[in-house]
Amino acid sequence: MNRNIVEYDNVTVIIGNKKILSDASCSIPRKALTFLVGENGSGKTTLVKSILGLLPIAAGNISFHSTNGTKPILGYVPQNVIFPTPFKLTVSEYLKYAAQVPRDKITTVIKRVDFPETHLSRNITELSGGQAQKMLLAAELYRSPDLLFLDEPLSNVDDSGEKHIIDVILDVKNEGVSVVIITHDWQFVSSYGDHVICLNRNFICDSGYCVCKNSLSKVNIKNIQKTSPDSNSTHAGYCYIENI
Amino acid sequence: MDLIDIVSTPFMQRSFISAVLLASLFGLFGTFIVPKRLGFMADGISHGSLLGIALGLLLGIYPIFLAIIVASLYGFLLSRVSSTSNITQDGLVGVFLSGGMGGAIIIMSYVPGYKPELFSYLFGNILTIHWTDIYFLTGFFILVTIIFVSQWRNLVITTIHNDLSHVIDLPVGRTKYFLFIGTSITLIAGVKLLGIILVSALLIIPVLIANQFGQSLKSTFVLTQFIGILSTFAGILISYVMDYPTGPSVAILLVATLMVALVYKNMKAKFSH
Repeated sequence: MNRNIVEYDNVTVIIGNKKILSDASCSIPRKALTFLVGENGSGKTTLVKSILGLLPIAAGNISFHSTNGTKPILGYVPQNVIFPTPFKLTVSEYLKYAAQVPRDKITTVIKRVDFPETHLSRNITELSGGQAQKMLLAAELYRSPDLLFLDEPLSNVDDSGEKHIIDVILDVKNEGVSVVIITHDWQFVSSYGDHVICLNRNFICDSGYCVCKNSLSKVNIKNIQKTSPDSNSTHAGYCYIENI
Repeated sequence: MDLIDIVSTPFMQRSFISAVLLASLFGLFGTFIVPKRLGFMADGISHGSLLGIALGLLLGIYPIFLAIIVASLYGFLLSRVSSTSNITQDGLVGVFLSGGMGGAIIIMSYVPGYKPELFSYLFGNILTIHWTDIYFLTGFFILVTIIFVSQWRNLVITTIHNDLSHVIDLPVGRTKYFLFIGTSITLIAGVKLLGIILVSALLIIPVLIANQFGQSLKSTFVLTQFIGILSTFAGILISYVMDYPTGPSVAILLVATLMVALVYKNMKAKFSH
């Protein structure tokens, strides 16, 4: 069985006339917590959306390796979703339609992400950013994905909520789900990361290998440094991340 | 003439039956068209379909039949527009609206003689509804309801969270075609009763009124149906008693109800603080 759930080989993504990712390669290991880091505009969300099939790829190949030979079930919790205000959907209705949660299981599902039960009949457009993200996470967890993408899962929650979400993410990983997290929180990465993929405008680094300026170098998570890239360097043993 | 006499008139019975079917259909499509901000699209499709009516009058072919073909084509082309297209959806609606109406008026200049039926197609006329129209509407209503039941979840998810609908492999394209082409045909199905100029009022305004009071999708949907049917009934009665065209009667009633609902909601919010 392939140790990676996704292999992303020499992928180019073009949006409009702009090349967002060019010949990008990386892999997402199975049953691990992978962090996707990099400066704003480096292509993190583009990479995730191309894996999810939300953006077409212009070149390259994305291959999925599930345990049973079919495409793995994907889950995605974006950082922000702007729900249309004239659509009156309650939290209960969202869980029913998005994840087909039965009425008698709704309470259990929301408790897992510490979502207040009193907000179940609230309109989804009235939720705060953190509550909306918890609701989206609850729905995605109920769908039991093999591979779960979380975009900045801690950005909208307070300190106590942060601890709870981290515990949920670790539980999910321990249950065998491959989790990919987009973040700018370097502390979060260094504390929990099994694998790190970092993107810069010019290159993409995997924690197994760093590919930049046509050189291939072995890289360790600990060697990923927060510093500016030197365009003349071969980056042997190091990946560079700006503005984390 | 009292209400019983009015209601027992055969053409009024046909009008009321078509009102129930049409208001329900408009309520179904409007529930998703309004939150997707496609109200202008509905207006553009109905106005631009005057081209089909004019062609029908010129060629002696049933005008509604040609208008349905034209509207379906508009709906199909609009559903092909993606967020990365060079032509925007509202831009294309503007093209259909101006091109369709412009073409229709030029074609009408070639139709000889006085054209009283054109006024009926523009503003609606309860006298023009026949039993064949009711049979067509009933069949269409049954078909649309069956599709709505099977597509309901897809429609909800594509309306609120389009990315998720792709991630969970819902048939996004098929749902979009159904919504756009289905709305287009429904608009034309309502032309005889409400007229091409004001038919979109029944698609948009009941949803806006229901949104002022509904707390969930379920309650808003039920309210939309209730408001749509009641206002169409009342509009037909006003139209009959006052000898007004049906479309403007229903549209004015809906606008007045929306204004009352907005004032009530604002007053309630003001006094509850």
